[in-house]
Amino acid sequence: MKRIVSLSGIVLALFVAEGLAQAPTFEVERLWPKPFPVAKKWILGSVSGVTVDAQDRIWVVHRGVDSLQTNEKGPALEPWASMCCFAAPQILAFDAAGSLVTNWEPKETKGYDWPANPAGIAVDAKGNVWVAGGLATPSLAPAGRGRGAPGGGRGDAPAAPPADAQVLKFDKTGKFVLQIGKAGQAGNNESQTNLNRPAGVAVDDAANEVYVADGFGNRRVAVFDANTGAFKRAWGAYGEKPGDETLPAYDPTAAPVRQFRTVSCVKIAKDGMVYVCDRQNDRVQVFTKDGKFQKEAFVSKTTTGDGSVWDIAFSPDQKLLYVADGHDKKIWILDRASLDTVGSIGSGGRYPGQFYGVGSVAVDSKGNVYTGENLEGKRVQKFVKK
Amino acid sequence: MKRNLIIGAALTALVMTLGIGQGLIEKRAAAQASNGTKVQVPRFEVDPTFPKPLPNGWYQGMSIGVGVDANDHIWIVHRPDTVNALEAAADAKTGACCSKAPPILEFDQQGTLLRHWGGSDGEGYQWPSSNHGVTIDHKGNVWIGGNGGGDGLVLKFTQDGKFISMFGKKGVQVDSNSTEHFGQVAKIFIDAKENEAYIADGYGNKRVAVIDADTGKFKRYWGAYGNKPDDTNLGRYNPDAPPAQQFRTPVHCAEMSKDRLVYVCDRVNDRIQVFTPEGKFIKESWVSKRTLGDGSTWDIAFSNDPQQKFIYLADGKDERVWILDRQSLEILTSFGDGGKMPGQFYAVHSIATDSKGNIYTTETYDGRRLQRFLYKGMQTVTKGEEQGTVWPKVTSSR
Repeated sequence: MKRIVSLSGIVLALFVAEGLAQAPTFEVERLWPKPFPVAKKWILGSVSGVTVDAQDRIWVVHRGVDSLQTNEKGPALEPWASMCCFAAPQILAFDAAGSLVTNWEPKETKGYDWPANPAGIAVDAKGNVWVAGGLATPSLAPAGRGRGAPGGGRGDAPAAPPADAQVLKFDKTGKFVLQIGKAGQAGNNESQTNLNRPAGVAVDDAANEVYVADGFGNRRVAVFDANTGAFKRAWGAYGEKPGDETLPAYDPTAAPVRQFRTVSCVKIAKDGMVYVCDRQNDRVQVFTKDGKFQKEAFVSKTTTGDGSVWDIAFSPDQKLLYVADGHDKKIWILDRASLDTVGSIGSGGRYPGQFYGVGSVAVDSKGNVYTGENLEGKRVQKFVKK
Repeated sequence: MKRNLIIGAALTALVMTLGIGQGLIEKRAAAQASNGTKVQVPRFEVDPTFPKPLPNGWYQGMSIGVGVDANDHIWIVHRPDTVNALEAAADAKTGACCSKAPPILEFDQQGTLLRHWGGSDGEGYQWPSSNHGVTIDHKGNVWIGGNGGGDGLVLKFTQDGKFISMFGKKGVQVDSNSTEHFGQVAKIFIDAKENEAYIADGYGNKRVAVIDADTGKFKRYWGAYGNKPDDTNLGRYNPDAPPAQQFRTPVHCAEMSKDRLVYVCDRVNDRIQVFTPEGKFIKESWVSKRTLGDGSTWDIAFSNDPQQKFIYLADGKDERVWILDRQSLEILTSFGDGGKMPGQFYAVHSIATDSKGNIYTTETYDGRRLQRFLYKGMQTVTKGEEQGTVWPKVTSSR
């Protein structure tokens, strides 16, 4: 028996210009990934990181029970309130067919500071799994209804967790390997030991270095030794010194600010170029590995609010850049050489192929695109390259 | 490409899910608990292509009503004001997507949006502060209620959105014995035979009210067990306490079967009560009796066989549709599970069937979808079996 692999797809808006890489077309795979086992009653929380490893497995980190609404965690409440659901383990890996192949619950192990808001996931060449921590508390309060105290339950609101300042490294089985930074000890832009709500990581296997998007608190890219965690270097927007001065609200008509506003991702292309998401400045900045500024480009520059550049992934041939835009509910397709926007995937909504809070994007070796939705999106979706 | 449908057999959920080992163990336990009794039930598969994306960059909010008309068109009502600033970034002028869709939306069988209207006051009527429930009557007219504070009215429109009648009014206090207005109406059923409207009344009141469907004249009303309704606060639901002698708010549905029994959703009390059209209590039954908070019995629809053998019950707290034997009110099986994928639910709120036996559901809170479940004939299941997410079973036929 075979599962449906494709159904009539979503029409994509494409606007291909002369001389640019042609944007491929995609079709959402509506029935992917496979549901969790019925008996487990697992549910996915707000998805805050998606990546693809060398074996084309799709790794996911989500915010677990802390991101579930009352009606999504009934059996975990005291007293028991309903049949749905338990948070799925916060680290999951699926194969390309959508079968769950690995999972572990990082909260169950001691010896490290699991982030209050895990965000961003990367798998290095050895199969180690890296997770940052510190997505900004969503500016949007989710819809009020359904979040109230459970029937019969009371309980005070839990104390605010310590601000995330750390990045974690696990081996492929979930065994703890390394922690950079310490929960609750946020470092400033000068710190060589702590981060401030880092949102993403990328590993340079050849140089054995880990790049950290630092983050929602700081305004820099910070680089550390991937084995020892020793600080190597850091830089801000345009390769300049990151600073803490107050920035005016983002204004698409004003001259670009010389600081990152929200460093929500860092990704390294095969040719060694380092791409940084400056989310609320609506821009991508490109650097050499030693932080020398190369170029920048704006994506949906008129977007205000949460900003347009949440995460980045590269096509297998490195000709295209996929930009997850949680505010505009799209994956933008950019020509990597020119950084011109050449197409997009998706629209706003809760149906297959639509997005709410899409903040993560990854690409497999065949060019298929995977997305993760934060906030109340709470999905991983697969878009098959046609 | 051609696909053959595999006719469903037992253990549907098993072949469709992972972790078969543990699933088997739990299913065996469940089977033992129900002595392994096998029952015949309708089988459904979610249609993941339905509906088509809304035009105009429209975004759907909390979806709190679904009805099917004589042409098998599907009508939903949702709350545009629940579409938040990020979702409706175009309205907020912070981005290009999206805008709040009008509250009343009509879809054809292909899932294409047809008519759309509503949301504001008009000549002779006020729009509810929180529209709730949609029903298309035997004359083709569209009825809605409203569960916002002070909403004490039901509205009747043509399918084009032309105002016909307003019964009750806005700005009222809760009063389960009022014969002038309602108290935050959840849903309406129209009995063609007597031309009467049965009002599930509601989020404020604790009664079923019956009015003349043309004049709005109050005819009768009743509370739980047919008692005179009483607005005393009952406090929280306690599954171990003796059954409450009044409905707890909300009274969330009042649906009449072909054999003229009125089934009432006493949502937070986790029960269905059955009455004659005159309000004489017949029987009751609980569904997931230990469910707390929002309760389990959100909405019901009947199977479309002549006998209406089955009740499909939407449970937005346990995130599933229960299938009950209508005569015995026993639970036979359930489908659906918590989640945002096709066939999964978050706060499944409303349910309806079409002439082909397909089921439509809408989800409130952060579910915000209309889903269709295609009727695929009958299947045998172990009584009580949880089917989980019912995805299409498809095979290639070469």
